[in-house]
Amino acid sequence: MDGEAQRATASWENGTLAPVDRLRFERADSPTPGLVEGTEPGAGQKSAMFVHAQSFEDLTAEAEGEAQREALLEKSETDGAEELEVLNIASESKSKEEDVSSEAWRSHRKHVFVLSEAGKPIYTRYGTEEALSSTMGVMMALVSFVEAEKNIIRSIHADGCKVVFLTKSPLVLVGVSRTCQSDKEMLRELQYIYYQIVSLLTLTQLNHIFQHKQNYDLRRLLAGSEYLTDNLLHRLDRDPGLLLSAVTCLPLASSARDVVSASLQAAKAKSLVFSILLAGDRLVTLVRKKDQFLHHIDLHLVFNLVGSSSSFREGEGWTPICLPKFNTAGFFHAHISYLEPASSLCLILVSTDREDFFNMSNCKQRFLERLSKRSAYQALKEALKCPSYSVAQVGIPELRHFLYKSKSSGLYTSPEFPVVYQSDEEQERLMGLYQELHSHLHHPTRPLRSFYRCSKTENLLAWVTSGFELYLCFSPLGTKALAVAAANKLMKWIRKEEDRLFILSPLTY
Amino acid sequence: MSAMRVDAKVVMLGKESVGKTSLVERYVHHRFLVGPYQNTIGAAFVAKPIQVGDKVITLGIWDTAGSERYEAMSRIYYRGARAAIVCYDLTDSSSFQRARFWVKELQNFEEHCKIYLCGTKNDLVEGDRSLRQIDYHDAQDFAEEIGAQHFETSSKTGSNVDELFQKVAEDYNNTALQYMTAEETGVDLGQKKDSYFYSCCHSN
Repeated sequence: MDGEAQRATASWENGTLAPVDRLRFERADSPTPGLVEGTEPGAGQKSAMFVHAQSFEDLTAEAEGEAQREALLEKSETDGAEELEVLNIASESKSKEEDVSSEAWRSHRKHVFVLSEAGKPIYTRYGTEEALSSTMGVMMALVSFVEAEKNIIRSIHADGCKVVFLTKSPLVLVGVSRTCQSDKEMLRELQYIYYQIVSLLTLTQLNHIFQHKQNYDLRRLLAGSEYLTDNLLHRLDRDPGLLLSAVTCLPLASSARDVVSASLQAAKAKSLVFSILLAGDRLVTLVRKKDQFLHHIDLHLVFNLVGSSSSFREGEGWTPICLPKFNTAGFFHAHISYLEPASSLCLILVSTDREDFFNMSNCKQRFLERLSKRSAYQALKEALKCPSYSVAQVGIPELRHFLYKSKSSGLYTSPEFPVVYQSDEEQERLMGLYQELHSHLHHPTRPLRSFYRCSKTENLLAWVTSGFELYLCFSPLGTKALAVAAANKLMKWIRKEEDRLFILSPLTY
Repeated sequence: MSAMRVDAKVVMLGKESVGKTSLVERYVHHRFLVGPYQNTIGAAFVAKPIQVGDKVITLGIWDTAGSERYEAMSRIYYRGARAAIVCYDLTDSSSFQRARFWVKELQNFEEHCKIYLCGTKNDLVEGDRSLRQIDYHDAQDFAEEIGAQHFETSSKTGSNVDELFQKVAEDYNNTALQYMTAEETGVDLGQKKDSYFYSCCHSN
């Protein structure tokens, strides 16, 4: 899978007009020279913790080449008019039901539907699946209709509304959006939902079920997990980590972090593959088995699982979890517990052996005993009090907010939202703007290396090199020259702070 | 093992949302959390020492998820259990069917496990008798048939909860003398099961 992804990535990189020489020239000419991959601020000193992924290309370019994709897009666009009629019929027939026919239901910004290849509803973000069975039937009809012509339906664009299809046998995922998100962004989100479902059941089990009973109602097996998917969708709207395919860290002095990592490293066991210490949604440290890497997507699924449920607070959790980017066929077993009852520090020990609960429990005790003897534990607890930082610390007055991702480490950093973006709507709007910049930088055929945009409410600058991705948000009064100067100043600040903001020396057992 | 010494493994079984977690929560933390229902993910383990006569016995309680998704995995939670508290919701007859399923499962695979049949949410029934869907005597008859103890509890009021776990501990204490092979409590660490990964195939 990853091999394919790389091929696909290479193919579009070759497809750009910029010859390789020019890229090198640009890099050398960039105001902060030497920022090649692996030397950018935040890059790990030894090795990365994560599967090396070209940000999100490996998500979307997984299955097909871009050329084919473009061709299909055209196809679905020309067919759009006809297919939309079908959709309208469907909406009329379902309008008899209360809930899903209401204007309020229709006007949700983004709908997500999951159905089986037999057209059976599995999940809807809003409303109930029962009420939507005819609508989902129509969705499946559209997919099969286009498939019958040996083609694949990708999206339908009509009247400010976008319908994006993702077929991942035995599931079909459909996103309906009124936002200005690109198809690719939508597809990325659907992919996440797909992986969320796989993480609960494994792909092997999914296939097995539908091979034996095409008509199976998967909701039986997913019962009680809907809120995980709901939460994941919420995160997709708000969490920059999911956009950047990266994870953010709890700011912590590197000396303290190293002690925590070493304590975790010492508490090892034969079946232990990953030890992950979280503070809320922030990574404190991650220790992994040699040669085993965790993928961001898998880590985000773990974050989502832990963050969505208070059930791990009651005792020690022990749950099967499939990490789909690692292996879609089998379950790992995760020991999940909080270090102290009211603490936000949550330890996740990922084991290969389902019988190993008490062994993992013992690892946790050993880690805790070791850690609590050292002053680093106090430093860590202190750090929990300010899990984020204000943009004012950077000392650039016109800078409001930014996202910085170190590509080689897969980690990003970002300050808390400033006063102007306090409300949920404003924060989601800003995230939407970042998404837009992101899709310009990662356009499948015409990726940009930098992008500057002025608007009434803010000025934005995005900049990508082989080593990092940077997204900045300025007050609307600034100029482009100011913005570029600010970007350079920010880079220096991040370099200065990198050992606090990033995990520079990740450990293995 | 430095973590804890567990004397008796106790497993909570039953249909989802019958209130297994609430029962454990009431017993261990003496509280009842009001709020939106949250299902258990996988299983949660908690150790609780309990006084029996002049002895202290530590119950290792496995609160399992009721969701069908975890059914294939349930064996690892009840294997070697000394007691199983099979819960059903007094206001939901389908949950009693599910309880029968678990009883059968235990009888087939875990013959040394004592079964405690527990009807939950008694406060609802006391508030409004018409809500009761499982007759006390029917459940009692079933319990006698399978040689189980029968309780009706309310995690909200705490009624009968301590009595239930006290009984579990006492029974363990009385029978512990008979089975001196007590080290079945946890997991056999030396034994590697299956392959490196395993997949759980749905068998319906």
